[in-house]
Amino acid sequence: MIKPRSHGVLDEALPTDPPDDDESMAELRSLLLGPAEARLAEIHSRLTDPQWQLKEVSHILPAAIAVRSRQDDELLEALAPTLTSAIERSVRKNPQPLVDAIFPVMGPAIRKAIASALNGMVQSLNQSLSHSLSVQGLKWRLEAWRTGKSFAEVVLLHTLLYRVEQVYLIHKETGLLLLHVVAPNSTAQDADMVSGMLTAIQDFVHDSFSGQEGDQLDQLQVGELTVWIERGPHAVLAGVIRGAAPQELKEIFQATIENIHLQYNEALVNFTGDAARFEAATLLLEDCLQSQFEMQKQASGSRRRFNPLLIITCVILLALLLWGFFAFRNARRWNAFVEKLKSEPGIIVIDAGELQGKYFISGLRDPLARDPQMILQEANIDPQNTISRWQPFQAMNPEFLLARAEQLLDPPATVQLKVDNNTLEAEGFADPEWISETRRTVRFIPGLNELREDNLLDLDRIEKPMLLFPLNQTQLLPGQEGKLRQLVADIERLHTLALSMNKKVRLEITGHTDTSGPETRNSTLSQGRAETIASELNARLPSDSPLKIAYFGSKEKLREEVMEVDRAANRSVTFKIILSDLQ
Amino acid sequence: MIQKKICMLGASAVGKTSLVKRFVESIYSDKYHTTVGVKIDKKQVQVREQELTLLLWDIEGSETKQDFRKSYLRGASGYLVVADGTRNDTLYKALEIQTQAQETIGTVPYILLFNKADLVDQWSITDREIAALTDKNWQVIKTSAKTGVGVEEAFLRLAQKLMET
Repeated sequence: MIKPRSHGVLDEALPTDPPDDDESMAELRSLLLGPAEARLAEIHSRLTDPQWQLKEVSHILPAAIAVRSRQDDELLEALAPTLTSAIERSVRKNPQPLVDAIFPVMGPAIRKAIASALNGMVQSLNQSLSHSLSVQGLKWRLEAWRTGKSFAEVVLLHTLLYRVEQVYLIHKETGLLLLHVVAPNSTAQDADMVSGMLTAIQDFVHDSFSGQEGDQLDQLQVGELTVWIERGPHAVLAGVIRGAAPQELKEIFQATIENIHLQYNEALVNFTGDAARFEAATLLLEDCLQSQFEMQKQASGSRRRFNPLLIITCVILLALLLWGFFAFRNARRWNAFVEKLKSEPGIIVIDAGELQGKYFISGLRDPLARDPQMILQEANIDPQNTISRWQPFQAMNPEFLLARAEQLLDPPATVQLKVDNNTLEAEGFADPEWISETRRTVRFIPGLNELREDNLLDLDRIEKPMLLFPLNQTQLLPGQEGKLRQLVADIERLHTLALSMNKKVRLEITGHTDTSGPETRNSTLSQGRAETIASELNARLPSDSPLKIAYFGSKEKLREEVMEVDRAANRSVTFKIILSDLQ
Repeated sequence: MIQKKICMLGASAVGKTSLVKRFVESIYSDKYHTTVGVKIDKKQVQVREQELTLLLWDIEGSETKQDFRKSYLRGASGYLVVADGTRNDTLYKALEIQTQAQETIGTVPYILLFNKADLVDQWSITDREIAALTDKNWQVIKTSAKTGVGVEEAFLRLAQKLMET
């Protein structure tokens, strides 16, 4: 079997030297294992060739990862750190790809945040609604009305008064208390246990009511107290707040928990129960307490801030109100004034109204009528704001006829005028000049036709007649009787007229003598003559007449005694009438 | 001041709450068990000159359900598993609970308590059972919430173990 395969070379080599022997072994090997050796060499070269390995692993890698992932989480754990660092490095190098990648997620995330913010707003709206329906709400409405602020502003002022009483910093994993700060004058339960219980309750609520990992208890409400819970990865901040805190406070809480994580991250991760390391964070937590004072200051500041728009609106409203009031009052006064003028005698209103903010009135006015300007003043109307036009005319009503007659005739005090059916009636007594003048003038007075003087007495009828006496005697001359009778009748009439005019009459009788005879005789003679007539009149006039008669003798002569006629005239008595007001 | 969270675990009516009451003064009422399922108390102890505050999470034991609120275990440095020495089934429940606890928070110090040690005549746990447990490195203490026997010791032993780790 060897021979035919030797080709002579093997035959020479075999018996001689060892190298030849090696070669033949190699040849033998190649003969025996030829194809297998080639395969081995190929495998070897493949094993040492990284390119080939790369290709080979790339074939199986995806399937291998899939298989392993189904099996357990080891691959995930192994890859996690590498992936984290890879992402970190990638972001550091160029953040854009990550930004692009998370961009689609941003929308929903932002929507969720906005929804939560809206939720807060609705809450505060509910708060103000509930305020508006309570007794306190009514009080605040009153305050708003009184101070001129809007109701919302008042509610805000009151609800802003809140107080952060306690702040807990709690280790998230263990529920152990890391730090606790309490506002002055606030009381707190055992903070360690509260911290644990608060953690337990969060777990309880989360386990009982929430399906999703991210959903957590954010707020507890107990009467006036609210507990706000802000979470970080390793610690939880819980603030106990009395009253209604504004949304800004939440931001302060968030900033605080972020800050604590920034400064104490390592201590939080490696926490084994020693809270002493967190004491330095007291100031940070106290910031959460202090924020309330700043808010209060802001609130009291805004108390003094006014809304200019509101003030302007109020002023305009007030001005409108005042204007309306005055306009109404002026209109009422004007209407009353016009009505008054219409009913005023001697005034005829033709037109009255308002034009371009001014009142105007026009018509006819008798000069004897009341002055419209006076009536205007009585009505409290500003004459500056009024235009009046009056045309003169003569009113024909009796009182105006009378007034006009009195103005023109100027009757003496002893005469009373009346107008009746276009007739002027004069009553009383006057001197004959006035009587004759009146008879003439009355015809020229419009509306009057005649003078009726039935009750008008000419005073001369009493004062003119002289009763004459014989020489050196105190008895009347015969033939004087008629004169005396007429005199008595006139005196009686005078007396009646005087009474009707509320006057009393005093009649003075003066006795006279002529110049003959001694003066002493003349004196007794004049006295005696006056006395004779006085007693004569007293006897003739009614006894209850209140007529007062005075008599005395006069030394004065009535006229110059040129002739005997003058002397006879001087032997007489004369009369004088003196009227005075009756008491 | 070091603080540690420890849990009280065990089937219902084994006397967990009574043990805690024996050990601390509480501010919370027992109502918490039925509402929230946990009640928290605090006890200060001294371990080798070191002040230690124990926060005891007394977790409600469930009669019917197998499990309890495991989230309450989170962050615990150790726990006491309580069984009723007069009821054998509570021991097996305790072993079950211990396994669940270990799965939830990993290996932390724990002690098994056989409570109601005063009820000697009703005792149903055999020494063999106890020996089997101690062989597996279990710490076992007999306690009585009624007489106070073993209570202080149980808490202090756990505290010591916490400080060793």
